[in-house]
Amino acid sequence: MINPSLAKAIKVLGFLFLTFFSVTSGAVRLGDQLRTLPVQDGGRIKPFDTFAKETLELVYGRQSYKPKDGGPAIQAQWVVLTWMLSPESWVSRPLFEVKHHQVVEQLKLDKERKHFTADEIFKSEKFMNLMQELQNKRQTKEKLNPYFQALQRMESQFGVFREMASGRMLRVYPVPNSDTWLSVAELPENIQPAFLDISKTVATYLGYQTDVAIKAEDQSKAAEALDKAVLHFKEVARQSDPEKYKAGDKSEAEVFYNDAHLFRWSYIFYLLAMLLTLFLWVRNAQKGMGFAWALLVIGFTIHTLGFAFRVYLAERPPVTNMYETVIWASWGAVLFAMILEAVYKFRVMLLGGSFVGILCLVLADVAPAVLDPGLHPLEAVLRSNYWLIVHVMTISISYAAFLLAFGLGDIGLIYYVIDAKKYHEQIQKIVTGVYRAMQIGVAFLTPGIILGGIWADESWGRFWGWDPKETWALIVLLGYIVILHARIIGWLKNFGMLASGVITFSLVIMAWYGVNFVLGAGLHSYGFGAGGVEYMSVFVLLHFLFVAYAYTIYRTQKGEA
Amino acid sequence: MVFKNKAFNKFWRFSCSFQLGIPVMIVIAVLTAWGTIVESQYNDATAAKKIVFDSWMMWVALSLLVYNLTVVVVDRWPWKLHHYPFITVHAGIVTIIVGGYLTSEFGIDGQMSVAMQGKNNFVAVPQTDLIVYATFDGDRYTKVADREVDFFLKPPTEQKPEVLQFGDDRIEIIKYVPYGVLQTKVKPTQDLNAGASIRFQLMNANVKQVQQITQQKKDRSTTFNLGPAQVILGAPKEGAVSGNQIYIEPIDSEKVKYSIFHNDQAKVFKTGQMKIGDVVDTGWMALEFRLLDYLQNASEEYEVTEVSMRTDATVPVVQIRHRDMIRWLALNDMIKIFGEKSAYLFGYQNRRLDLGFNIHLNQFEVINYEGTNKAKEYASQVSIASGSEPLQPGAESLQISMNKPLKHNGYTIYQASFTTDEMTGKPSASVFSINRDPGRMVKYIGSLVLCLGIVWLFYQRRKKATAI
Repeated sequence: MINPSLAKAIKVLGFLFLTFFSVTSGAVRLGDQLRTLPVQDGGRIKPFDTFAKETLELVYGRQSYKPKDGGPAIQAQWVVLTWMLSPESWVSRPLFEVKHHQVVEQLKLDKERKHFTADEIFKSEKFMNLMQELQNKRQTKEKLNPYFQALQRMESQFGVFREMASGRMLRVYPVPNSDTWLSVAELPENIQPAFLDISKTVATYLGYQTDVAIKAEDQSKAAEALDKAVLHFKEVARQSDPEKYKAGDKSEAEVFYNDAHLFRWSYIFYLLAMLLTLFLWVRNAQKGMGFAWALLVIGFTIHTLGFAFRVYLAERPPVTNMYETVIWASWGAVLFAMILEAVYKFRVMLLGGSFVGILCLVLADVAPAVLDPGLHPLEAVLRSNYWLIVHVMTISISYAAFLLAFGLGDIGLIYYVIDAKKYHEQIQKIVTGVYRAMQIGVAFLTPGIILGGIWADESWGRFWGWDPKETWALIVLLGYIVILHARIIGWLKNFGMLASGVITFSLVIMAWYGVNFVLGAGLHSYGFGAGGVEYMSVFVLLHFLFVAYAYTIYRTQKGEA
Repeated sequence: MVFKNKAFNKFWRFSCSFQLGIPVMIVIAVLTAWGTIVESQYNDATAAKKIVFDSWMMWVALSLLVYNLTVVVVDRWPWKLHHYPFITVHAGIVTIIVGGYLTSEFGIDGQMSVAMQGKNNFVAVPQTDLIVYATFDGDRYTKVADREVDFFLKPPTEQKPEVLQFGDDRIEIIKYVPYGVLQTKVKPTQDLNAGASIRFQLMNANVKQVQQITQQKKDRSTTFNLGPAQVILGAPKEGAVSGNQIYIEPIDSEKVKYSIFHNDQAKVFKTGQMKIGDVVDTGWMALEFRLLDYLQNASEEYEVTEVSMRTDATVPVVQIRHRDMIRWLALNDMIKIFGEKSAYLFGYQNRRLDLGFNIHLNQFEVINYEGTNKAKEYASQVSIASGSEPLQPGAESLQISMNKPLKHNGYTIYQASFTTDEMTGKPSASVFSINRDPGRMVKYIGSLVLCLGIVWLFYQRRKKATAI
């Protein structure tokens, strides 16, 4: 299969690839030791970098702070650490994001703004009233609607800032006789100087950074001093309980993972691959597919690497929330596309695969509020169970195949919009791809549902309980089985297959996203979330309209013929 | 197959056609989708089961599917090699559906809660019963009614009540509220045997707590626990006093007597009389005790608010009428009704099945994720004793944990959840889900057959060049 042009292309791109990694990886940069400081938070040990980013995301809604006067963005680790070192300097800055209109209105704040100062929100009596309202709502044990979710977020923002400022939130020091690490405020007296050193050097370092009169040489000296203080504190903390501190050994890898944005690089390569394939396919060019293959393979390798990083960091297969399944399913879609392309050499398979790969990865990248990229510990029922991993992976990989059928369906319908007769040959190829992808999907989904049943039987004691998640997986299966049967008896012709590839995918969207985000009921509640429903509905609706439009054109063309 | 009878032949052709099969699959998909919407609307899986998944429509649709799948296979007789993959797939689906039928018809799926160091041999299943015990003398009770009811699907109304007739006593259930929020309301009563009730406030710079406590019966003490201190409505008993306690004893319809004790002293610290609105300094942590309300004879009654969906705070409730008395009764609760000659204990409860063995909870352990209150693992240590036998000393202790059930006498016992004591925050009982599933093997065999069939089928189809 490997022809000379492919081999050459792989060599060139492999070189670029290695360069990219040698630049981004390597030793921790000067002044960055602080980011790798292990912190206990949310049931695991994470680097301070991750902790700071998550905390700032909650409070401010972004992972770095943009000063109002237009200065350069301040990185999360400095923002969050200075909350503790000098909280008073933050009280008068617009730090707290409040998005819900009704909440802003209740607080009598400026509706044009999104960020408010601590004084504006928490000093008003109305804040106390709102918190009381939230408390009353909680007592009814009803589900919280977006308004109360916004209040809940405000409560957390307040709590996080207060706890951080008091030093009680930052747990950095393990002790042998407790599972809970000691916070900065609780450090034993003889340890306090070690942390104080960090505070002092941070102050100097940050002071030098903003002062243009300071020479670069002094700046790097300050950074060195800070790194040294952090390393010293790490050593001190390690001595307290070396066994527990080992959990922090992955900190540097996690900071690298945070910086590398592997999935972003991955979709950039997919995009290049897609554009090239599109060009070659439209121009019907004889050469160049090797290069497209190479681009896709590189994107795929980075994608796999990112996935492997998450497995390594979380110590579990990362298929336990929406974000992770989107990453996993797009990986599967690209894989299936490559397999089908290798078999059929239609080119359009690569086009479809890279298209859906980009779609998913971009979605995962731009919507962190809905698709939470954080690494979180699992609910008790999800832990250490073989069947869990197998059933989620099998089912989401089947969604990957349907995703591919969806992408190909979209491409095929475009031909119908342009000229079905002229591009009959291309359409035939695409329909084959759609059909095969659906077959792959069904072949994975059926055992996936059954494996889910086996898991449910082991965990909850019933094979099938009409839980919404399992029910919708079954509906997806029925949908695609109906289509495959309708194709066999000729109810669906080429246009019908392409249209069903697109329309039936809305069942997958419902099973995958809708059950958790729209229905919000059932035993799979640990994956539940909120948000993005409007966008998802528009996405589905637009595709329905597109199919309808293609259908009218198809009818007229048929009538003319 | 071709049949001579033309009409039957036509019917047969339709029976094994896609014209039947595809609409049936679509109907099943639509029904189940509707079921998930019902579940979401009521936040209640039971509602969806009753309205959709266990309804006649669902069974008709599934039966038609089984019929269609079977007839199609029979129709291909005599079978050739290329038929086998499709026959395998269809046989697998039919077997799974049959297994599901066996489970729903003959299986048991219930819950059991066992208190710490306690035991239990009853598993509560979803079916509900009305159970009535009657007594003439107040000592011996005999069961006079045990009736299965499904008020969710057939709710009783004022016009069509559920009636229980015992001699001259006619007890009616006139209303059913699937999602009721109960609030107890204290009312004054003429019954001189009824207990007293107080509403009070405990307050210092950090604590501000308003609470109401009511005695079940005259002179039966009741306690409110505020961690380090307790408020007790009743008389202090000789030698029983320990810790920071304040005792409130009714004197007459307006006044009460209070006695305050301190942790380290056996003698009363302070005593006196108070009436509504009075404040007394307790001397513990600068806490003040204020009497907000007092009734010498009070009864607690439920008030029910009907809400539109299930939450953790709702419970199914029925309204009971006996002559001119109307009262609310929550599921798995009992009330006493006084009739012409007898008194009745009236219960509305989930059916409880005797397992034939006792599950003793020796120990229960929760491990949290480090530095959080989020449970990482929980496990029960249990011992099993059959029938009425007491637990043998040194009986084997078995572990039941998440995803690691215990099998005994055809039952499978799963760790489902646990309840925590509100005061101490420690686990108070372990909750197991217990089931017996006669369809389990059938479903597993069906699954295996189906999966093999699908792989075989697509392998066979793969040989054809393009997808037509």
